[in-house]
Amino acid sequence: MNKLLLIISCAFVTMLPRIVPYFASSFLSKLPKFIRKCMMLLPVAALGALIFPLALTDFGASWYAGLVGVVAAFAASMLKGPMILSIIIALLSTTGMLLAFPA
Amino acid sequence: MINGKEVREGIHDGFPIFLGYFTTALAFGLLTRTSGFRFVEGLFTSMITFAGSGQFLMMNLYNAGSLFLSIVVSVFFINSRYIFMASSLSQRLADPKSVLGRLMCGFGTVDEVFTVASFKGHKLSYSYMAGLIFTSYVGWTSGTALGYLGGTFLPEVVQKAAVITVYAMFASLLGSETRRGGKAILVASFSALLNSVLILVCGLSTGLAFLISMIAATVFGALIYTDEEVGIE
Repeated sequence: MNKLLLIISCAFVTMLPRIVPYFASSFLSKLPKFIRKCMMLLPVAALGALIFPLALTDFGASWYAGLVGVVAAFAASMLKGPMILSIIIALLSTTGMLLAFPA
Repeated sequence: MINGKEVREGIHDGFPIFLGYFTTALAFGLLTRTSGFRFVEGLFTSMITFAGSGQFLMMNLYNAGSLFLSIVVSVFFINSRYIFMASSLSQRLADPKSVLGRLMCGFGTVDEVFTVASFKGHKLSYSYMAGLIFTSYVGWTSGTALGYLGGTFLPEVVQKAAVITVYAMFASLLGSETRRGGKAILVASFSALLNSVLILVCGLSTGLAFLISMIAATVFGALIYTDEEVGIE
């Protein structure tokens, strides 16, 4: 298999769905109100599925380490901590769980 | 037209993405080496594709000896979610005219950039987006290069724990959104639950499961949010 052709083809099918919608704004703004409303809610809807179940399955048998990290980050931001603090807390608690309870 | 203050704000907001991408890309760089790619081939992949899951999928299928066409089609399907993300983000641009600006945003519409930018709460300038995308891009490409050359030189437990960075960022965004209104957690839980069932119980591929969950949850959200809450006149 030609590796260069493979790399370029995969990049092409990655960029196509990302770039084309930016040039379809006149079409997008004419969509029914309900669809436009859906589009504004897409970020929140994406968040849940971006986190679960991959945050657990990425850790395999140590799935609880991922769960603790996610919960810690969520709790930190509910307490108005800045994002970087959430991440540091998550990193520390996940590392701690991995060290304390090796799978 | 470049606003230094907004570029810096974008770089600042991109820093968590940088951390997550850098550590993930180390693993990707190593994977390209063990798959028999040359250094430039591995780096080139990250430079022109700039996609986490899509690139890993490409390498896994390549190593499994899949046919050329089936790799490309699979990569397209796992990326089809970007159609919705890019459509959504394009509605938040301060100046939707600039061709170069739109190309840049399209190139940089990855999951993490999409979520961080979407929750910014105001119209997005190209200066801000440039800072945000550039920072993420540097993390992804430099991580790939270093991963190829040095492997995942981080201690194993750190490398393993670093996977949490990106999820922590998502969880943090969800936390701040929940503070603003409790409905956010309902919509996010809906998509999290559906996605988990589709993947763990029904055995769907992550790409397809994500697409279904995301779309179903937006419809659910549109039913429980009022037009004013979403900012649609």
